[in-house]
Amino acid sequence: MKTVPEILKEIRPEFDFTASNDFINDGMLDSFDMMTLVSALDKNYGISIQGTDIVPENFKNLQTIEALLRQSGAKP
Amino acid sequence: MSPVRSAGEVLEAIQKVKAGATAFRTNFFPVQSKLESWVAHDELTTETRDNVTFFVRKDRDFAHLYFCAASPSAFGGEIGQLSVIRTHKLAIDIVGPEASLTELLSLAEQGGFRRYSRLVRLARVASPITPTFVPAAPGINVAIKGDAPEILALIEGSFDRFADQLPTLYEIEAAIAARQILIIRQNEQIAALVFFETQGLTSTIRYWLVAAPFHSHGLGSTLIRHYFSSQPAVRRFILWVTATNQNAIQKYQHYGYAPDGLVDHVLVSEPVTS
Repeated sequence: MKTVPEILKEIRPEFDFTASNDFINDGMLDSFDMMTLVSALDKNYGISIQGTDIVPENFKNLQTIEALLRQSGAKP
Repeated sequence: MSPVRSAGEVLEAIQKVKAGATAFRTNFFPVQSKLESWVAHDELTTETRDNVTFFVRKDRDFAHLYFCAASPSAFGGEIGQLSVIRTHKLAIDIVGPEASLTELLSLAEQGGFRRYSRLVRLARVASPITPTFVPAAPGINVAIKGDAPEILALIEGSFDRFADQLPTLYEIEAAIAARQILIIRQNEQIAALVFFETQGLTSTIRYWLVAAPFHSHGLGSTLIRHYFSSQPAVRRFILWVTATNQNAIQKYQHYGYAPDGLVDHVLVSEPVTS
């Protein structure tokens, strides 16, 4: 199973996601990337992230993404 | 179709579809600010059908159609049943890596749409550099509010309304307020412009154009070089360009852009006239 930073690196290899605390405002993830990420997380962790959870606050940084995964039933 | 009154309604509608999704598919990727702006300007309506929610956004003499579907077959089963398809000219964007789009494209065509244009996304990765003072370039200015109508006319005259997501006057005014339109004036008219959106480490060129009487004077080159140098913190520059516009693609390649694998098929439908 891939880790969240590994999945992010596959989506946007040019960015260092460990160096940012706000992926959205730092321009590292756009809305298309967010949907790609949701799809990758669903597949990787065998979950289904809810539509109402697909909001920028949940994709702000590694901590919020991991919290979202836990809330969706995964163990990141 | 009913009007969308808040951005939250959109999320709830998406949730209803995604809850039972087997292979969720969408072409709806609005950033929050854009979504709120469309809602505030009464541009967005929605209709939820069996495992699909459609959104329609008014634009000039046609509308953009967006969807969130639990599966491609749910999308295919409902798109042709939409009443708006019979009353309005619609444009739909099917976006993603080319290989993943075959089924949705076929279903949209079966639903009454025909292929109109294909765009490719180009990206340019910049090396991290220390922000430096950007010297003023002679003749290049940040657009001011009074320039907005002229900018809109230039963009409408140079780009395709179905394929190129043309801005409204209020979007241009907002971009001007954010200092995201650079222009060169000659003979008291705008000879060239670059309209961009920078968010942190990513900057998107929305429109780069030189007005016809001013072609081959090096204005476009002057402008884009200034744009790059004015964005020292940006690591990723992106844009969408029509795949058949080899002239534009070659220019972008000259500046280091290359396809990043995303494509956007634009399909249109004609209203039924009888």
